[in-house]
Amino acid sequence: MEPKLRVENLSVWYQRQPALKHVTLSVEEGEVLALIGPSGCGKSTFLRTLNRLSEEQVGVRVSGSIMLGDLDIQESHVDVTQIRRRVGMVFQAPNPFPFSIFDNVAYGPRLQGVADPGTLRKIVEQSLRQAALWDEVRGKLRRPALALSGGQQQRLCIARALAVNPEVLLMDEPTASLDPLSTAKIEELVGALRGQYTIVMVTHNLRQAARISDRTAFFLDGALVEVGPTRQIFTAPQDNRTEQYLTGRFES
Amino acid sequence: MVRGRRLFGLSAVLAVLGMAGFVLVLGSLLKSGLPLLTWRFLTSSGNVGIGPEILNTVVLCSITMIVTVPLGLLVAVYQGEYLRRQSRRVRELDHLRATLMSAPTIVLALAVYRVAVGWWHWPVSLLTGALALSVINWPFMVTVCRAALSAVPDSYREASLALGASRFETVVRVVIPAALGTLIEGIGMALARLAGESAALIVTTGVNVSQHWSLWGPGETLAVHIWYIRTEGVVSGRDAEAAATGVTLMIGISVVLWLSNRVAQLFGRSEGGYDGT
Repeated sequence: MEPKLRVENLSVWYQRQPALKHVTLSVEEGEVLALIGPSGCGKSTFLRTLNRLSEEQVGVRVSGSIMLGDLDIQESHVDVTQIRRRVGMVFQAPNPFPFSIFDNVAYGPRLQGVADPGTLRKIVEQSLRQAALWDEVRGKLRRPALALSGGQQQRLCIARALAVNPEVLLMDEPTASLDPLSTAKIEELVGALRGQYTIVMVTHNLRQAARISDRTAFFLDGALVEVGPTRQIFTAPQDNRTEQYLTGRFES
Repeated sequence: MVRGRRLFGLSAVLAVLGMAGFVLVLGSLLKSGLPLLTWRFLTSSGNVGIGPEILNTVVLCSITMIVTVPLGLLVAVYQGEYLRRQSRRVRELDHLRATLMSAPTIVLALAVYRVAVGWWHWPVSLLTGALALSVINWPFMVTVCRAALSAVPDSYREASLALGASRFETVVRVVIPAALGTLIEGIGMALARLAGESAALIVTTGVNVSQHWSLWGPGETLAVHIWYIRTEGVVSGRDAEAAATGVTLMIGISVVLWLSNRVAQLFGRSEGGYDGT
């Protein structure tokens, strides 16, 4: 089967500083791929090039190709908003808009021109159910999103991303700011979404990567060191540096 | 620690002194002005009242805000959201804005007078005054809008962009609604500042009240009126009249500030944005 995302020879520079060097990596449809590596190794940068969010920053230069299906998203004629609808993103800290719960989830569909209240309600309910938040917020959709707990806010952000029906979901350390219980809920949720969505997830938590990912990629100093089935990476890494990282010999 | 405490003591004393001075001024103003403050004084014109002055002040401030709020917001959005931060062009624009903002208002008004009255042959009128006030107010408005927009966390912008919104959609649907409370408060502050402007208006709108009210006619405002009767007035009891006008102006400004604060809190609390369902 064709991979969902095929990244070839991807390099990224901030000003003149290289952040990613010649990364080649494929993501299969429906799998959960975990990106691990020490801070500043380029895994977040990698994630942000997959929906071209990196180009919103000043002085970023990208080379190489990223194929989403058979579309090269790096090409300049490609509509960036179209890509971002197909590739959703969840951020490190929950960042719901200061609107109501409903308006948060309805934001994406409204952007696409969905105005019918019935349709919007249906999308909102379905997205909140998928994000395992519906039972906690039903009947309270008009309440401000910022009144929710941190974990609920993060699940709301996942619902908001799912509401535009993306094919790929990028997650940038989605549990970094959450307590263990909320983290467990998010992990459970990722497990439930596996297969339906292609998920690429950056994490600092090695156990989390081991628990929920199908494959794991290890980044170091802007380069991809190795990628493989999670079990193999954690039990029998091919590269010496991976083993050193997993046994705690790099600062993470 | 001792030094910090001493500084605190000093600033507390200064604050109390400042407050006392303010209360003293306010008290004497109220004492001489309040007896004159009747319905007739507020509504009639000529020597017995300040009706036209109130109307002129409201009209001038309104026109100025209608012109400068969209303008200020537009410039702020362009600078803050489109030209990326810290670019050279933004710094140059900031410099220009700071210069304009620190220029004495009368100097700006004289420049406006030269252009509007001298070149375009506008009469000394409410509209010329509105133009002068707009020139005076827009850098202030840009500053207020910039501050309000940049207080909106970048994470909102990122979330919106990541959902496929364009920069424009992000500004209109997320950034401005999220900044609305701060914006309204800033607009109230700008209004209060404009209502007290006198020097610029003496030159551009004049010190007369025309018989037939018109935007193209001269129109003295409350602040100008105070200045006029204190310096040129020949009526008896001019001090009391000036004080009463001052009290009116201050009450007006207080109401505007209080209202804008309340409305801002309303938006800040519910963070409304646009409505759902």
